[in-house]
Amino acid sequence: MNIFISGGCKNGKSYYAQRAARDQTLKLGKPLYYIATMIPRDEEDRARIRRHLSEREGWGFETLEQPLNLTALLDDPAVDRSGVFLLDSVTAIMENEMFRRVDGLKGNSETEIVYDDTAADRVRRDMEAFAKATGNTVFVSDGIYGDMGEYSQSTEDYRKALAAADRALAAVCDRVVEITYGIEEIWK
Amino acid sequence: MKLIFGGAYQGKLDYARNNYDIQTICDCSGGAEPDFSKDAICGIEGFVLACAKAGIEAREYFEKARDQWQDKILIMTDTSQGVVPIDKDVRAFREMNGRLMLYLAGEADSVERVFCGIGKRLK
Repeated sequence: MNIFISGGCKNGKSYYAQRAARDQTLKLGKPLYYIATMIPRDEEDRARIRRHLSEREGWGFETLEQPLNLTALLDDPAVDRSGVFLLDSVTAIMENEMFRRVDGLKGNSETEIVYDDTAADRVRRDMEAFAKATGNTVFVSDGIYGDMGEYSQSTEDYRKALAAADRALAAVCDRVVEITYGIEEIWK
Repeated sequence: MKLIFGGAYQGKLDYARNNYDIQTICDCSGGAEPDFSKDAICGIEGFVLACAKAGIEAREYFEKARDQWQDKILIMTDTSQGVVPIDKDVRAFREMNGRLMLYLAGEADSVERVFCGIGKRLK
């Protein structure tokens, strides 16, 4: 079963998603994969990754590092696509693909952010394709649409792109859940 | 009146079109005054922003026009979440939008919230 999960920051989405993925593995007797999507930038990011790693300890997840190009996993012979996948998060992959970090673009050692305006459609299609090809993926995204939206153009483009990916996933997933402080609201 | 709301980019208008017989739409997102001769009025928050800038209370505008929207579908974006905006005018708009939504939700025969393209009836 493909499950789409969204909601506010620090509301318990990841924990809920981990349980949903593990429950499916126990039921199906299939491998359990965690798709790690974050490209760490600083100590804060590395601390977050360490916290997530310890939270997953003992759950039986095999970690797949895939911050970009999600559908490449489908062609990886080491990955059983009939397994159960936890993708946390759609938000991070969209950011990584839209705002690419490229080193030494100007001939120096600095990291430049390169905006990729083809990413929005590509990521949306990749997400849909991944859901259809696996059938047992838990997607975690973020609800970032209920505030004033007083953002720069690139951030607004990003919100729009993520919302389109979310809606496409909500349409193809078997279950759509919004998490509010650990409490589930089933939308589908 | 039917009120449909949700966050930005959630597919509110598509949801309304898929679930109701809507032939004509008035889009107020750019700040236009609602044309209540249309079946559905969307982007009402854009009109509220124009009201806030002009010093008009949007709720009072809708109260006065009450007879005109009784059989309409009203669609607006919820801007009530998140941090209180620093800008005074944006703050005023956000509160005005909330007051209008509260009034319309009270008046509505049905209230639906749209999340990722999916609607749920709250009232």
